[in-house]
Amino acid sequence: MNRYLSILVPMLALSACASQNSAITASDSQVHVRQMQTRIYDSLDKRDTLRSVLATLQDLGFVIDTADYEMATITATRLQEYQLRVTVTVRDRNSNQLAVRANARVDDQTIDDPATYQDFFTVLDKAIFLTRHNVD
Amino acid sequence: MRKPDVLLALLAISSLLSSCSTTQPDYFSPSQSSVAARKMQARIYSSVEESDVMSAAAAVLQDMGYSIDEVELPLGVISASKRADATNRLHAFGTLTLDSMKCAFTFLMACNGEHYGEIDDVQDIRLTLVSIPQDSGNVAVRITIQRTIYDKRGRVSEQSTITDADVYESMFAKLSKAVFLEEQGI
Repeated sequence: MNRYLSILVPMLALSACASQNSAITASDSQVHVRQMQTRIYDSLDKRDTLRSVLATLQDLGFVIDTADYEMATITATRLQEYQLRVTVTVRDRNSNQLAVRANARVDDQTIDDPATYQDFFTVLDKAIFLTRHNVD
Repeated sequence: MRKPDVLLALLAISSLLSSCSTTQPDYFSPSQSSVAARKMQARIYSSVEESDVMSAAAAVLQDMGYSIDEVELPLGVISASKRADATNRLHAFGTLTLDSMKCAFTFLMACNGEHYGEIDDVQDIRLTLVSIPQDSGNVAVRITIQRTIYDKRGRVSEQSTITDADVYESMFAKLSKAVFLEEQGI
């Protein structure tokens, strides 16, 4: 009995340790995650794109936690029955395109549903259109 | 395996699988009232510089006792927060009375302040103000406000976006005055 316990206890301890540490670096495919979270826009205007991201986030009821023009990064939080936190980055993709990437978490869970990101980019598409045409 | 058994097994498996799949809420779908919300949360200031609006906004936030958490001028962003009292005195009095009666009726056996512990105590208010320069020379300002309310035991009792139009109205009234003062150099 004692022998079994002496094997079982360290095994349980090790498995708990492994599952806690695996959360630090996610196990999903990097390529898949990037594809799901990224959209390409035919624009070179980083400032207008970031302003469109701000408009999108405010439309969706977020409060901005941090915004950095130089790093082209915005992080925002929405409080409801849950806490939804999203980070959006904008970077040059090539000489005439920008890549916008959003990653989101709800409480302690990463959102890994492509349809949810699709919803975000649908709202962003509209905001970019309105910003380009200077519509309030 | 008889036919009914196979059907039963299939039904059991499919119900098991369906219980595993969860429907994701529409986290990024704009609500029906997003146009109304935008109208409530935004104002347009005519013939002003964006920098003047931003300075006026920072001053107004300080007037209202907020601490500035984040400023990013190139994007027109200011985020601020404050902790404030959230006690409803009437509710507090009611729960105290309820707890006292419970204590007396149980001959001091249940004097745990159960109801008093559940009343709202403090709230953390966070807001973002974004200025949006327009081709017409006007500057639009949009504010979003959220708060988290904690009860006397320190537990979150509510977290939500502020949707009370009067709150935004009052904030923009202060901002309009401050923009005017900023233009006059006061």
